[in-house]
Amino acid sequence: MSDNPVVSDNSPQANHQADQTHFGFRQVEKSKKASMVAGVFDSVAAKYDLMNDLMSMGIHRLWKRYTIDCSGVRAGHKVLDLAGGTGDLAAKFSRLVGPTGSVTLADINHSMLTVGRNKLRDMGLISNLDYVQADAEALPFPDNSFDLVTMAFGLRNVTEKQNALNSIFRVLKPGGRLLVLEFSKPQSEHLSKLYDMYSFHILPKMGQLVANDAESYQYLAESIRMHPDQETLKGMFETAGFEQCDFHNLTGGIVALHRGFKF
Amino acid sequence: MPAQSLLTATLEQGLNRLLALDPDSADRLAKLHGYRLLVFLEPFRRGLALAFSDKVDVLALEHEHSATVARLGSNECCIKTRLDVLGELSQTSQLTRLIQQGALQVDGELQIAQHASNLFQSLDIDWEEQLSRYTGDVVAHQTFALAAHAKESLLGVLDRINAGVGNALVEEKTLAAHRLAVMHFSDEVDRLRDDVERLDARFSQLQKQLKNT
Ligand SMILES: C[S@@+](CC[C@H](N)C(=O)[O-])C[C@H]1O[C@@H](n2cnc3c(N)ncnc32)[C@H](O)[C@@H]1O
Repeated sequence: MSDNPVVSDNSPQANHQADQTHFGFRQVEKSKKASMVAGVFDSVAAKYDLMNDLMSMGIHRLWKRYTIDCSGVRAGHKVLDLAGGTGDLAAKFSRLVGPTGSVTLADINHSMLTVGRNKLRDMGLISNLDYVQADAEALPFPDNSFDLVTMAFGLRNVTEKQNALNSIFRVLKPGGRLLVLEFSKPQSEHLSKLYDMYSFHILPKMGQLVANDAESYQYLAESIRMHPDQETLKGMFETAGFEQCDFHNLTGGIVALHRGFKF
Repeated sequence: MPAQSLLTATLEQGLNRLLALDPDSADRLAKLHGYRLLVFLEPFRRGLALAFSDKVDVLALEHEHSATVARLGSNECCIKTRLDVLGELSQTSQLTRLIQQGALQVDGELQIAQHASNLFQSLDIDWEEQLSRYTGDVVAHQTFALAAHAKESLLGVLDRINAGVGNALVEEKTLAAHRLAVMHFSDEVDRLRDDVERLDARFSQLQKQLKNT
């Protein structure tokens, strides 16, 4: 299978050795990936929001807004924003669920969580928010805890994605839904080429200029290519037990929003 | 769909900016805390939700009108109306007629709609005060006084034109106006032009000032 235009023999399915996984385009030991990902986000945390705006030309805000539109979130809901990083989604959810609801911002990375906590506190949002350092693969919450789980641009960094989806399924209440917003596979050849040029040539340079860290942004570009495409991810949702699974391509499939329900 | 998200983002930013300009709006907004107003505006298919907290969040609704009404929560009010009758909604006397004609449908907690309409209709923005933040009090005051004078002169001229046309129609006067009337009319036009010129000069001066700050 080759859905990766740059290194075609290195797709997620091609990890022959069971104890190996990919870190960008490199093969690394599974046990090491989490700390390597942590290294990336430790190093980008401070400039993360600025880089997001620059890299996506602000469009990531619209993708996130669309995610919230599809969330069905209401007053009183309990929301888990997983791999929530600097808290973009959590801020809006906090207002929407109101004082009778709650929002948990969870991330594996302490630096990202700290940037997120400070940002939300500066926005005056505290009362219904809490912060948990947690690995998506082994969520430290009881079964059936949340009405909604969102994961924006987080899943591709997780070592065993299927474990994460299973774990999310467990903590969702029956009737609850999962939304995963993630880079995906552009639907047209032309867009795909343009996008490759952008992410492998321009993006690392921007990372170098703004955050003085070309390597981390090289990793981001590579990890995007290694992420399962739309149909594969939909299949993984179903394997975890989700129902009524669907996805919407945004900006020509550069990003896709996947949705699944637990009944 | 980023286009739709762009629309709600712009609307949200616009509404919150407007509210921020009126210091009293916070009290009116507090009455709506935790409530939502859902709006369907034909011919647009998708509805919007205004979710009120210490600001207004604008969301695109997931479901169509009937499904939305079926799921309506106790903290929500849903309004369905048409773009072409939107202007009439501000006249309370017209509401019953619009409902009877099927041009307006309201479901859920009516008070939410009333409070929301009050939130925006009572907006009291002191534009002179806003301008003075950039230009200083004196300049702002003079500019607004001048603008008010220009507006009055303009209205005066328009009134006269209206009255003139009215008379001509009613009394079937000859088309040639009385000489004195014409002189008076052109005096007023001159005054208006002066006002407008002074206003224009004032604005370019302001522009320069703003550029230099
Ligand atoms: C690209 S950021 C996204 C942040 C935020 N959701 C956003 O959309 O702006 C990815 C985040 O995933 C977190 N992450 C990576 N692996 C994770 C894991 N196994 N469990 C939880 N979070 C993880 C990283 O620490 C990082 O904060």
